[in-house]
Amino acid sequence: MPPEQLTQSVPHSGHFSEPTYTPPTLSYLNDPNSFEDELPLLDELGINFSHIWQKTLTVLNPMKPADGSIMNESDLTGPMIFCLALGATLLLSGKVHFGYVYEISAVGCLGIYCLLNLMSVTEVSCGCVASVLGYCLLPMVLLSSSAVIFSLQGIIGTILTVAVIGWCSLSASKMFISALSMEGQQLLVAYPCALLYGVFALLTVF
Amino acid sequence: MSGVGGIRNGSPEWGGFDDNIIQGGGSAVIDMENMDDTSGSSFEDMGEMHQRMKEEEDEVDPDMAAAEDEDGEFLGVKGLKGQLGRQVADQVWQAGKRQASKAFNLYANIDILRPYFDVEPIQVRNRLLESLIPVRTFSIPQKIAGELYGPLMLVFTLVAILLHGMKTSGTVIREGTLMGTAIGTCFGYWLGVSSFIYFLAYLCNAQITMLQMMSLLGYGLFGHCIVLFVTYNVHFHFLFYVFWLVIGGLSTLRVVSILVSRTVGSTQRLILCGTVSALHMLFLLYLHFAYHKVVEGILDTLEGPNIPPFQRVPRDIQLVSNNVVNATVKTIGLLLETH
Repeated sequence: MPPEQLTQSVPHSGHFSEPTYTPPTLSYLNDPNSFEDELPLLDELGINFSHIWQKTLTVLNPMKPADGSIMNESDLTGPMIFCLALGATLLLSGKVHFGYVYEISAVGCLGIYCLLNLMSVTEVSCGCVASVLGYCLLPMVLLSSSAVIFSLQGIIGTILTVAVIGWCSLSASKMFISALSMEGQQLLVAYPCALLYGVFALLTVF
Repeated sequence: MSGVGGIRNGSPEWGGFDDNIIQGGGSAVIDMENMDDTSGSSFEDMGEMHQRMKEEEDEVDPDMAAAEDEDGEFLGVKGLKGQLGRQVADQVWQAGKRQASKAFNLYANIDILRPYFDVEPIQVRNRLLESLIPVRTFSIPQKIAGELYGPLMLVFTLVAILLHGMKTSGTVIREGTLMGTAIGTCFGYWLGVSSFIYFLAYLCNAQITMLQMMSLLGYGLFGHCIVLFVTYNVHFHFLFYVFWLVIGGLSTLRVVSILVSRTVGSTQRLILCGTVSALHMLFLLYLHFAYHKVVEGILDTLEGPNIPPFQRVPRDIQLVSNNVVNATVKTIGLLLETH
């Protein structure tokens, strides 16, 4: 009997003296919501750090071609972090403008969403627009953090502001045209984005 | 559930003395006896009823459901009236919902504007440059691009320039009010004046559509953008007047010449073109002085109280005129010496 019990028992459990031992993998038959079968917390929340980092790198390097497929998921975690970071850096300059950042983001997203739906053949979702615009706010966060150290109202500040607006709008338009296949219309998409980021720049500079 | 079941076991099936008159107090069992009250058949409650009935359907045991159907039939006319009322209200709700979504798709559908945003960058660039070149032939009706992307972007650019001008003047007003003023002014001009000129064009029998008028006037704002962008940063009155006449004038001439080519009759042409020129030129003047005066006021305050009031406005011109006078006197002196 003992050799038969040895062969019948589960090899990985090592419990040779307990033939009635049930392996834990069979517990889903009794309880569908068992702890072992739950997804990791970040997956359940939809937060994918590698995608967030990939998109951040795409924004930081405007010359790098954007991958159209990464825009399919409307991830708002990165944009939320960047908006809060913008508000925080503005706070460090003595400006409490969280409400303005929120209002301008909301109205800007709506405007760009309407415009892109009118201009592109494929439909775009509001979440995708909000995600792209939020990610491309990162250079503006860098500008407002530099505003903590020196004032942006001189010549150097103006040049820096114009460069950052160009950087943001170039990245945003690059992502939009790769996601919506609007080759040849990058300038037409970049200009409204530049106007939106210009309003953020006004908030940062003045 | 157990409470209702307990009471039902003890009392007759059609006993009307139960306390559970109002259905849906957290019970999972649909008590058909008490469905005669009319509180559930009003139109406003149908949405809620739908939701509750959907939730209850998931929990009702099929056997109990069969028994309740029998009860419903047994109740006769009284039960039928309640159910009929509910069905009618349900149909009215569905019909209303269908009509509302149809109306929404018809009127709030922005796809009707889609053809007016189908442009290439090179087309926009060419139209921007052409907006400063008046046409010469009035006998043939000139073509107007029926496009809204360029005009819309120009109006937003004008809003941004106005905001920038107000901000560089250092006015400490909440950004919301500044933004509202700028947007209201620019969009009000574009849409309001376009509508007014379209109305005049209709009266004067001009061959132009509302879309073409909006496009024409929108592209006419390109000159305004250039003038304001330069003169908000270079505070020089003489320069502003020159730009106003030259660039503002060219832009107005373009609009006027196209309207003239599309209108028949001297009086009609005069009315239409006079109105457009006056409004277009005066708007630029208004934008400069309404938002530029603030700049001068702030600059004077920063200089201190030592400057006498009569020198405030022509301050920049005085410097230039002094230099010009000096240069002129010197050249006259040199000329006299050589002769």
